[in-house]
Amino acid sequence: MRSLWLMPGQGGQKARMLAEVDPELKAQVETWTGVKLLDTEEGYQDSQQIQLSILLLQVEQIDQLQQLGWQPDLVAGHSLGVFGAAYAAKVIGKEDVFKLVALRAKLMQDSCPAGYGMGVIVGLSRPAVKKLVEQVHADDNPVYLSNQNAEMQNTISGKITAIQSVLELAKENGAAKAKLLKVPNPSHSPLMAAAAKKLQEFLQTLTLQAPECIYLTNFNGHATRKLQDVAYDLGNNLIHPVYWETMMQVALEYEPTVSCEFSPGTAFTRLLKAKMDQLQTVTLETMSIDDADFLFNKWEKK
Amino acid sequence: MTEERNWHTHRDAKNARLASASSLLNGKFAKTEDVVKVLNTLIKPGDKVVLEGDNQKQASFLSEALTKVDPDQVHDLHMIMSSISRPEHLDIFDLGIASKMDFSFAGPQSTRVSQMIADGTMTVGDIHTYLELFGRLFIDLIPNVVLVAADKVDREGNLYTGFNTEETPTIVEAAAFHDGIVIVQANEVVDKLPRVDIPADWVDVVIPADKPYQLEPLFTRDPQAITELQILMGMMAIKGIYAKHKVQTLNHGVGFNTSAIELLLPTYGEQLGLKGKICRNWELNPTPTLIPAIESGWVESIHSFGGEVGMEKYIAARPDIFFVGKDGTMRSNRALGQVAGQYALDMFVGSTLQIDQWGNSSTVTNGRLSGFGGAPNMGSNPTGRRHSTPAWQSLKPDDDPLAKGQKLVVQMVETFGANKKPVFVDHLDAEEVRKEAKLANVPIMIYSEDTTHIVTEEGIAYLYKTDSMEERKAAIEAIAGVTPVGLRSDPKEVKKLREAGIVALPEDLGVRREDAKRSLLAAQTMDDLVEWSHGLYNPPAKFRSWS
Repeated sequence: MRSLWLMPGQGGQKARMLAEVDPELKAQVETWTGVKLLDTEEGYQDSQQIQLSILLLQVEQIDQLQQLGWQPDLVAGHSLGVFGAAYAAKVIGKEDVFKLVALRAKLMQDSCPAGYGMGVIVGLSRPAVKKLVEQVHADDNPVYLSNQNAEMQNTISGKITAIQSVLELAKENGAAKAKLLKVPNPSHSPLMAAAAKKLQEFLQTLTLQAPECIYLTNFNGHATRKLQDVAYDLGNNLIHPVYWETMMQVALEYEPTVSCEFSPGTAFTRLLKAKMDQLQTVTLETMSIDDADFLFNKWEKK
Repeated sequence: MTEERNWHTHRDAKNARLASASSLLNGKFAKTEDVVKVLNTLIKPGDKVVLEGDNQKQASFLSEALTKVDPDQVHDLHMIMSSISRPEHLDIFDLGIASKMDFSFAGPQSTRVSQMIADGTMTVGDIHTYLELFGRLFIDLIPNVVLVAADKVDREGNLYTGFNTEETPTIVEAAAFHDGIVIVQANEVVDKLPRVDIPADWVDVVIPADKPYQLEPLFTRDPQAITELQILMGMMAIKGIYAKHKVQTLNHGVGFNTSAIELLLPTYGEQLGLKGKICRNWELNPTPTLIPAIESGWVESIHSFGGEVGMEKYIAARPDIFFVGKDGTMRSNRALGQVAGQYALDMFVGSTLQIDQWGNSSTVTNGRLSGFGGAPNMGSNPTGRRHSTPAWQSLKPDDDPLAKGQKLVVQMVETFGANKKPVFVDHLDAEEVRKEAKLANVPIMIYSEDTTHIVTEEGIAYLYKTDSMEERKAAIEAIAGVTPVGLRSDPKEVKKLREAGIVALPEDLGVRREDAKRSLLAAQTMDDLVEWSHGLYNPPAKFRSWS
């Protein structure tokens, strides 16, 4: 069995998703970060609440699986998911990872002038979207090609006015879907440079270890076992596109037999299954740790 | 007096290396658990190493061991591989064991190959066609060490490679006769071989493998997955190309389009009265979907590049058709198969991921440097050839007394591929990939000048009949559907092209779209194929719906 662990980012959060999380761990996170986790719809309007709560869900699931003796051969996190991925690969300790993400969320919030955000375009190739972005982008109306979620699904980040112009062009050029996302930041673009710089400074104060498995980087979609690549990804993925499609292509070239998607959501498993139907998949959003353990044991014997 | 030159430095070096490994060897045999020590001792920095791996058979025991050698002792290897198929083929670059690669095909590892070239972890000699790569093993890429796989070995070191002989003899020959070291992993050590495929004289070291080499059933297509669109295209191709040009000798690519044609021969082909007139002699892996055509007497002979899992018993029972040894098992040969594919055939039919406005095609797309399999050799027109077959002659222009014929090179594609991406594009992604990977040549799989026909669900473009690039572009646009290239097509121009016989739509060929039904396939399930084979075909587990 060769396993690929997937950590989603923001988007799948919902009220009461922490209902079954160990209260002790939750309290500890609140102490470390000074943030009270509300786990309510209102609370999830706030970026720090979202980011810390998703990380908490993932860290608990990682701990439970690792206590049962399961380790990943490959880890991949999408955006915020890199922190869970780095934790699963034993690059960063528990307290540090929560402090780091608390700071990241705060920096993102603080760097958030009104009128910026992200859009998604489905049905056009990345080079096609790139051309449209280049047509619109200007210093006073910036827009960047950002995440590569799937071959024909890319996001753009920048000023809302510029995003809307690109979305219009995309529709004219035959995009199946082109819409604004409910994201208050121009994430994964050079517009996040100031936040990334401060995050880097904090990272330098932490003690990190080389990953114990293959880590797939957001910023260039490579597989790595080097600490410096992972550290760069944690500090700087905000200013780079997430090359998720490339990360998944590379992951599959390592011939994993099993994938495990951590909460929240199941979307990445669907994308992956479409590429490789023989892959055995577990989604912790819909399965208990016991179920996952049972299936891993079964597949391990094969 | 000048000092006399030593003319056998290679032999001396080889003997010295083997002597240094003598404590690990008992005759030619090394122990399974000593494999890493053997490789550490026999391979030196900078060596040219052939690691056997094609699109089916992999020397997987040796490739895994190669990742465990000590990079301080063994580094900067120049790997020569027809196919980069397994993760460890690239791990040796990450680990610093290898630094340069000459290869043909990298489909299953194409993203990492692109990345490694871009970041300098791997330098590429060339991306070859199979024949260029095999040929250069005897010219300027003569290997120091070859690592190959055999099914069985006897106590003297003779090898049996059987159905999956593939390129093993070619690789071994390049090393054995130029003082390279031949290292073999064997599935099994036996007292008596079914037959000798490679003599012990050519072999230096044999290591029994911990498990059998990896083997992929690459050419098995489940008839259930064939669509009605593919059946329509198959009918058009049979009528508008196979019958029109009286194609008797041919190769099929691995796609579902050609599987559909194989399954249409005993039904649709029979209705058209084509039996015995077309598709008699094949260079083809033993594809299970050809069983119904063989059983109904369409096929005279099949020579194969490699074997196909599950076809062993069927092949053994049909020695009139296949190349089978006295022992009853098939012998394949990829190098000779490629020679036959390039020079001896009337026609090659393949498929691709992209075709540009001029008719060049490639399977190299953004971020994936896949290289190519057999298509560039088989899908090229060998200009020195002088065939007299009706097919070759039928492409000869009639206005030139010295004119030559041409090989038929057919691309069959649906206008939109997987993921709803258009197949017809203005520019191949390969052009960008060349820049990113700093390659000498744009990785085109089949050049426009060699492509004689393109078949889509819209119709057939007879490119060999076009007189100018403008006309060629218009013919491609006419069958490119609603892709950006196809949308440029001008109905008036299409009418002219149809009248000139440069473009044929289904109605021009007398093919009715409503006749393209799955019931027309001679076999509609894997089970049907087993039945056609009289129970001799044994599908691999992943293709079995029953247990």
